Amino acid sequence: MRGIPTVLITVSPEVSAQMRPPRALYPKGFKVGNSTGRPGMRELQRQVLRDALRLLTENTRPGSFVTREYPEYGEQYAPPRVRK
Amino acid sequence: MALSRKCVPFTPFDGELARSTVAIVSAGGVHLREQEPFNIADELGDLTFRVIPDDADSQQLMVTHHHYDHADADQDINVVFPLDALRDLKSEGFIGEVARKHVGYMGYTMQLKAMYEGTAPEIANEIDRGSRADAVVLTGG
Repeated sequence: MRGIPTVLITVSPEVSAQMRPPRALYPKGFKVGNSTGRPGMRELQRQVLRDALRLLTENTRPGSFVTREYPEYGEQYAPPRVRK
Repeated sequence: MALSRKCVPFTPFDGELARSTVAIVSAGGVHLREQEPFNIADELGDLTFRVIPDDADSQQLMVTHHHYDHADADQDINVVFPLDALRDLKSEGFIGEVARKHVGYMGYTMQLKAMYEGTAPEIANEIDRGSRADAVVLTGG
C-alpha cells in the first residue's frame, strides 16, 4: 500500500509528539475539544484548516510542529502535559 | 523496534491543494447518530471506527468519547470534525474535492498494539480504497 500524506491538527502538542506525526499544526492556546476553534466560528475553523493543509505543500521537518496564533480565538489555555 | 520508534512515517505530498481530494480522520469519537456509538463502558477502549460519507449532514454527527469535554463539539461538530469547513474550502477553490469517505474513531485505548497494528491500517485501507483522498487531515479532540 502506498502512503497517504497526512497533517495533524493538535491542541495537545506534547502528547501528540509521542506519536511522531509527519506534519502537525498547533493552534496555540486552543483548549482540548476545540481543534479548529470555538463553536460557530466558521471563518476561524476554515483558517485553521487552510493553515493545516498548507503544511502539506511546505518544507516542514517531519515530526516537528508548527505553532500558529489566532487572536480571534479569545481566552487561551495551556496544553495538556505528558505525565512522567 | 527501537529504530522504527525514531522514524517518522512521512509521505510526501506532490500535488496542488486546489486539485486535491481531502478526507478527515478524527480520533474525537465522531459518528453519525444512526451509527453504533463507541463503547465507553469498556475500560480498554473501543478499537472500531465509523465511516462517514461525504454527504453526511453535520447536524447528524455526534461524539461518543469520555476522555475529553465535547460540549463544544455537541454544539458545532466542526470544532473537532471540520466537515462543513472543508466543504467551504472546496467552494472557495482552496481544495479540489471533499473525499467520499471520512473516518471517526475513539482515540482512547489501552490496547495500543491492536490500535497500531489493526485499527490504524484498517482506517488507512478504508481511506485508500474508499475515499480517493490525496491527503488526510487528522484531528483529535
